[in-house]
Amino acid sequence: MPLLEFNKVSKNFGSIEALRDVSFGIDEGEMVFVTGPSGAGKTTLLKLLIREIRPSAGEIVFDGKSVGKLKRRDIPKLRQKIGVVFQDFKLLPEKTVSENCDIALAISKTPKIEWAARVEHVLDLVGLSERSELFPSQLAGGEIQRAALARALVVNPSIIFADEPTGNLDWETAEEVIKLLKKIHEEGKTVIVTTHHKKIIKEFKARILELRKGEVEKDTKE
Amino acid sequence: MKLHLKTSFDNIRRAPFQAMAAILVLAVTFFVSTLIAISVFSSHQLLNYFETRPQIIAFLTDDANQEQINELMGRLKSDPRVANLRLISKEEALAIYKEATSDNPLLGELVSPSIFPASIEFSPSDLDQAQEMIELMQDELIVDDIGFTANVGGSAAVGDVIERLRTITYYVRVAGAIAIGVLAVTSFLVLMVVIGMRISMKRDEIESLSLIGATPWFIRAPLVLEAIHYSVMGVVIGWLMASVIVMYASPGIFSYFGDIPILPKASSEFFLMLGAILAGELVIGVFIAIFGSLFSLSRTLKLR
Repeated sequence: MPLLEFNKVSKNFGSIEALRDVSFGIDEGEMVFVTGPSGAGKTTLLKLLIREIRPSAGEIVFDGKSVGKLKRRDIPKLRQKIGVVFQDFKLLPEKTVSENCDIALAISKTPKIEWAARVEHVLDLVGLSERSELFPSQLAGGEIQRAALARALVVNPSIIFADEPTGNLDWETAEEVIKLLKKIHEEGKTVIVTTHHKKIIKEFKARILELRKGEVEKDTKE
Repeated sequence: MKLHLKTSFDNIRRAPFQAMAAILVLAVTFFVSTLIAISVFSSHQLLNYFETRPQIIAFLTDDANQEQINELMGRLKSDPRVANLRLISKEEALAIYKEATSDNPLLGELVSPSIFPASIEFSPSDLDQAQEMIELMQDELIVDDIGFTANVGGSAAVGDVIERLRTITYYVRVAGAIAIGVLAVTSFLVLMVVIGMRISMKRDEIESLSLIGATPWFIRAPLVLEAIHYSVMGVVIGWLMASVIVMYASPGIFSYFGDIPILPKASSEFFLMLGAILAGELVIGVFIAIFGSLFSLSRTLKLR
């Protein structure tokens, strides 16, 4: 049984069809690039997965549970299981990098005794140990991306969903971020990366799910 | 909790003028509340003083024996209409007389205990029952005569004074309740507005927290704690200001009212009264803060 499954999912925003009959499954430990031009529906996938929005039709099943049928009080638990790297980072600007990680740990009710070790480990992993006491506004573009990744990773989620993590980065920094995601995948994590960066898809071997005008145009798993 | 406390203190530090406005409004509320609470206490003390002042004195016959006296005392003790019951022996009556004539010792030396009758003194718990109690005591075999203290002009005059005091006390309480009510509503609204502004300023941050799995309570906790900080600071400042004024004025109040214990004279009791007011105000302040902030959160924060 796949860890994540989209069954004939459609999403309309008024008269605009963002997704139409999208179906795919992602197994535990897989790495998937979700690609397609702007407006293809990549970010809508993420919003549906974390129940920021509900599908107009179809069903999303994550970890054996229907996301659309979750009660309001269960949504935080769902979101705690998914480590999301948002396109606009969504780091707390008034908290340092390590405090941002602490907050994720507090939200997931991780015992406080584990916090320091976990934060140290993920910051070391993403190469931000030296920047832990800086605020997001004091970091460079690639560093912010890595800080957001550290916050997503620190709670040890079932799945990592990185939405356009290379969007505004130069090639070298983008390559570094993807290498990092690859490394996380090699450690056994399920990783979904949305990108429209063709060079990344060519260089890094992974399953490709291509969306176009809200429909799955290509899935290399099939 | 430590994380939420830190966030709430950071919020206060980053918008000090909003914090000052909220704290000052709350300080004024609790300054007035403290003064009103003390006034209500004093008016109650004043009323209580006059209500318990009128004493019925039953002078006992010389042949009344101890058994009869004990039996009458026992009945009076179990009567709910009787307060401040006291037996004055002949010797005690002489001592009282000597103390009253201490400026002329010769008067004290000329008398012996035998000329003073023993007496039973008490106050009616309700002044309206004074006449009934007097008539009841007159029927007692060992009671020779009945007296009603005339310190404040007899029962009619006492009743008049007490009635006036009751009216004053009632108006102090009503006016105090209205003033506190208006100020409490103002404080509630100010806290609501300040927390509402805070939510508007932090909308993006709140959305981020929600999207990474924060529960509604996790998001609300720092904002509720922030309102509680404002309230506690307002209470302490308001109470401190009012307490200093009352302490400064207390020597004048004591000398003006003389024997009437309008404020506690012992330091420990005085500070116990102020402590009790502070504790009560802290409870009310925290209550206003919790409900003000939660009301504001429910109106302005819709989590997805």
